[in-house]
Amino acid sequence: MSSDIIVEVGKKKYIVKRDRLYTETDEWVKIEGNKGVVGITDYAQKELRDIVSVELPEVGSTVSKGKRVGALDSVKATSDYYAPLSGRVTRVNEKLTETPELVNNDPYGEGWIFEIELTNPGEASSLLTPEAYAEKIKSHSAKPTH
Amino acid sequence: MRGIHLLDYYVEKLGAEPGAYGDWEVPYRFSGAIEEHLEVRERVAFFDVTHMGRLLVKGEDAFDFLQYIYTKDLKDIKQGRMSGPTLSLNDWARVKDDEMLYKLGDHEWLIVVNALASGKMIEFFKRVREEKGFKVEITDLTNEHTMLAIQGPESTRVMELLGASWAGSLKPLEFKMNETLAVGEVYLVSRSGWTGEDGYEVWAKPDVALRIVEALVKAGVKPAGLIARDTLRIEAGFVLGGNEYGEDPTRFPCAVGLRYGMGAITWGKKGFIGEEALRACRREGPRWARYGLKFSKEAGRIVPRHGDAVYVEDIQVGWVTSGMYSPVLKRAIAQAYIDTRYAVVGEEVEVSVKGKRFEAKIVDFPFVAKK
Repeated sequence: MSSDIIVEVGKKKYIVKRDRLYTETDEWVKIEGNKGVVGITDYAQKELRDIVSVELPEVGSTVSKGKRVGALDSVKATSDYYAPLSGRVTRVNEKLTETPELVNNDPYGEGWIFEIELTNPGEASSLLTPEAYAEKIKSHSAKPTH
Repeated sequence: MRGIHLLDYYVEKLGAEPGAYGDWEVPYRFSGAIEEHLEVRERVAFFDVTHMGRLLVKGEDAFDFLQYIYTKDLKDIKQGRMSGPTLSLNDWARVKDDEMLYKLGDHEWLIVVNALASGKMIEFFKRVREEKGFKVEITDLTNEHTMLAIQGPESTRVMELLGASWAGSLKPLEFKMNETLAVGEVYLVSRSGWTGEDGYEVWAKPDVALRIVEALVKAGVKPAGLIARDTLRIEAGFVLGGNEYGEDPTRFPCAVGLRYGMGAITWGKKGFIGEEALRACRREGPRWARYGLKFSKEAGRIVPRHGDAVYVEDIQVGWVTSGMYSPVLKRAIAQAYIDTRYAVVGEEVEVSVKGKRFEAKIVDFPFVAKK
């Protein structure tokens, strides 16, 4: 926990975990062996807030890096999420069907969305490091949001 | 942007997440909009609604001035009572704003206007006054008082806790002024709100309001933000500018189809702005009318959005104006304009949500009955 990066923007704080990689579209992927677990970041869940549904992929389906996988619906907005890496879906977080708020409450843990078996692990080199993602949040949040 | 008086307190002490609403900065949420929504339906929570525009209209022509502007007949409203929602129209019988009037006396009324319409309405009131020569003074009280809304089935108990032992004797839409509560004097207390639950609204100087908020927090009453306020009003069947109504006749139907109920329009009344077009719309029969749509539980956790199309077979018969997944009903609901030829309560329609069709039933408001 102590090694998390805390990005402070104005009055808001965002956590970036050091043990995973990130995308420009605010997903994280935690790679273990030839598998990757995917979710959305603390920043993304705080932008969306009040998540009421998560559209999950089907186990066995294939996803491609940068392509849309599903969507999250919050009270106020719908937001697509994308595959950080290419692969075949091996597990989905079924708990999110009944308790989608887990994405808000624990985006890096209980709120994970799906797991893939990586078909092209080399793609990971183009993902953002935790430090680079933290910088991205800072520069993005500096813009007026309304 | 201007923050409401107590914004820093909410952010620093209560963990509010602030956001923009028009040119205001207000708390969007505290613990989370869904939790806050349920807290209001099941127990009690408080909102800070200081962004609502509040105007004092005073002068010998105050009554005539207001009669000329609003669709509701104000002559039967007693001193110490609110009008219930009423509408201000433009010449196309489209709605400028839905507002609430408070009768302080024959020549003295308060108007509560929507935050986003506030600037426009003040200009409009002044223009009407100049054009027609009404003798009225219009004073903007918005910055004078903080306005709190204590809402939920337990709200009377909370008001008693604040020292308003008489609160429970107020009838809906009744108000009292210049009362002394445990923490100091307040300007106005009314039995009202915008959540569809029992509740009270309190106007007080910011320092007194802060002590009220501290007392509420100490008593375990949860704060709630603007997002929950919106979902509560959708479930209650209340309307919001930009969603259910607006001035543009190409985007919004005439006010007859708003079906606001609660006596928002008095047909027996004559001589108000927009009347001609409103009566024409009534005689011709409104093409569109606002109804509720209740989705089946099987549709799951979908969120119908403003603009989603409503179908009967392959014919588009309407569009969604506001939608949500109701945490109370555990199903999706929406407010929608439906072509009046197809608007049969109890009938089924289909709604396209994110490109997929879902069945829904046409229902009347509210979706959720008051506790």
